[in-house]
Amino acid sequence: MYQSLLFLHWKQIRHVLALLVVASFALPLLAVHGLGSAVPGMDVPSLEAYRFVSGFQAWLIFYPLLAAGIGITLALSAWNWDHQLKHVYALSLPMTRWEYTLQKMLAGATLAVVPVLGMWLGSHVAVASISLPEGLNAYPNELAVRFLFAILLAYAAFFAAAAGTVKTTLWVVGSILGLLVFGAIANDVLGYYVVYFSRVHVVESVIQWMAYAPGPFEVFTGSWSLIDV
Amino acid sequence: MNSAIELSGVSWRAGKSFELKDISLNVPVGSIYGFLGPNGSGKTTTIRTFMGMLKPDRGEISVLGHTVPKDMKRILARIGYVPERPHVYPALTVAEQVKVHASFFENWDPGWSAELMARLSVDPSRKISRMSKGETGKLLLLLALSQRPDLLVLDEPTDGLDPVVRRDVLSAVLDYVSERSATVFISSHLVHELERICDWVGVMDQGRLVAELPMQRFKNGIKRLRIADAPEATDAAPFTLLSRRRDNGAGSLETWIVRDWEPPMRHYFDGVGATVRDVIDLDLEEGFVELLRSSRPQHTNGS
Repeated sequence: MYQSLLFLHWKQIRHVLALLVVASFALPLLAVHGLGSAVPGMDVPSLEAYRFVSGFQAWLIFYPLLAAGIGITLALSAWNWDHQLKHVYALSLPMTRWEYTLQKMLAGATLAVVPVLGMWLGSHVAVASISLPEGLNAYPNELAVRFLFAILLAYAAFFAAAAGTVKTTLWVVGSILGLLVFGAIANDVLGYYVVYFSRVHVVESVIQWMAYAPGPFEVFTGSWSLIDV
Repeated sequence: MNSAIELSGVSWRAGKSFELKDISLNVPVGSIYGFLGPNGSGKTTTIRTFMGMLKPDRGEISVLGHTVPKDMKRILARIGYVPERPHVYPALTVAEQVKVHASFFENWDPGWSAELMARLSVDPSRKISRMSKGETGKLLLLLALSQRPDLLVLDEPTDGLDPVVRRDVLSAVLDYVSERSATVFISSHLVHELERICDWVGVMDQGRLVAELPMQRFKNGIKRLRIADAPEATDAAPFTLLSRRRDNGAGSLETWIVRDWEPPMRHYFDGVGATVRDVIDLDLEEGFVELLRSSRPQHTNGS
């Protein structure tokens, strides 16, 4: 059953997935050899290590963006056919709903490994194609693991969101936004009366906590450097 | 277990526009049960309640001796389902869809599947999105039958198919039933189609089950009577009066449409001072129409 669900998902997304694998493979190569980066095979003096690393900085933003894009694409495509068929096929199968959902989710997570392998391979090729300045190290495996976690996080969040109807999704997203707006207004009002709240920004703090360590989305904002000290 | 499907007081409401009202039906094991009704009468919704796709607001449902929705997994493993609209993945080929479907059903019979593919002339290499309605209909039946189900649920399986394909589909169903003694629940608005194959019939209209009876009784029991000096009150009548109207320019003659008619019932009219002039057989479609007409609320504002 899992194999069938994996096959169905693959069948649906295979063309897009191929492009994403190419992008994942190419990104580390572009970061190393692309605009603002080191020239292939060039021996960079160790004193210029800082300039060498800073050449990658412009590319770092693309790693989490690509990971999020892959996660979202996998999540939306997981439910796409089911929504089109009004879930009739899925509901006529001899499986409980949680079994079907779990196996479908695992199938999508399995597909996430493919671009990660692309990234891992691309990172190794990129590192092998240059001479690293003294004092710098390459982290292709760590980068691939971070890439995997980032994809899985985006996939899980959007898989859950896309599982429901458009109405349900709007309710969930609307509730979260509503809560944030309410929190910001409440903070301002309380800050008018209580000095402590005029110094604390609750919503901002929550977002900061979510996005940075030890928050759940830290995987996106952490270090994406393939080459670092 | 005497009933393959049993619904008891099932109600379900979808907003203000439609509701199933207190449906109680009973599909005997081994029967071919025709589920008749005009479009929008609630046939598909009723099917979705006992397939576990919709949760009724009230009532109890059991299928193949198991409770819905508690034992749905076991129930669905024994049901072959052909939905109203194709529910298969359009980007797959027939062979791929068959392989995917087979992986979910323990009783899948690959030999029987191959045999059906040849018999129904379904091309395994054909992409589903490029198949005609008839070809898709045959594929859906192939998938349902290859599971070797104890219960076949067919929701308008021949709707929109040409006569040749329709015959292929129905004969495949009948062959399977005669071989396996399976129960078939088949919904349709095509009355004549069910007349030939069903032994039980349920009639839906406006979200209610307005009749459930053996097909033989449905075919033979609905009559048009021409009555002279018809009585006003019919409370003691041994049959069910569906409708009555005075014949224009025919003196005291009235035309009655009655259900559950049997010849000895003529004596009832002798007892109330009336005379039966004619007893006219209605074909199934006429009977069906009269049944629906009588079940609907009467408008008294002249419309």
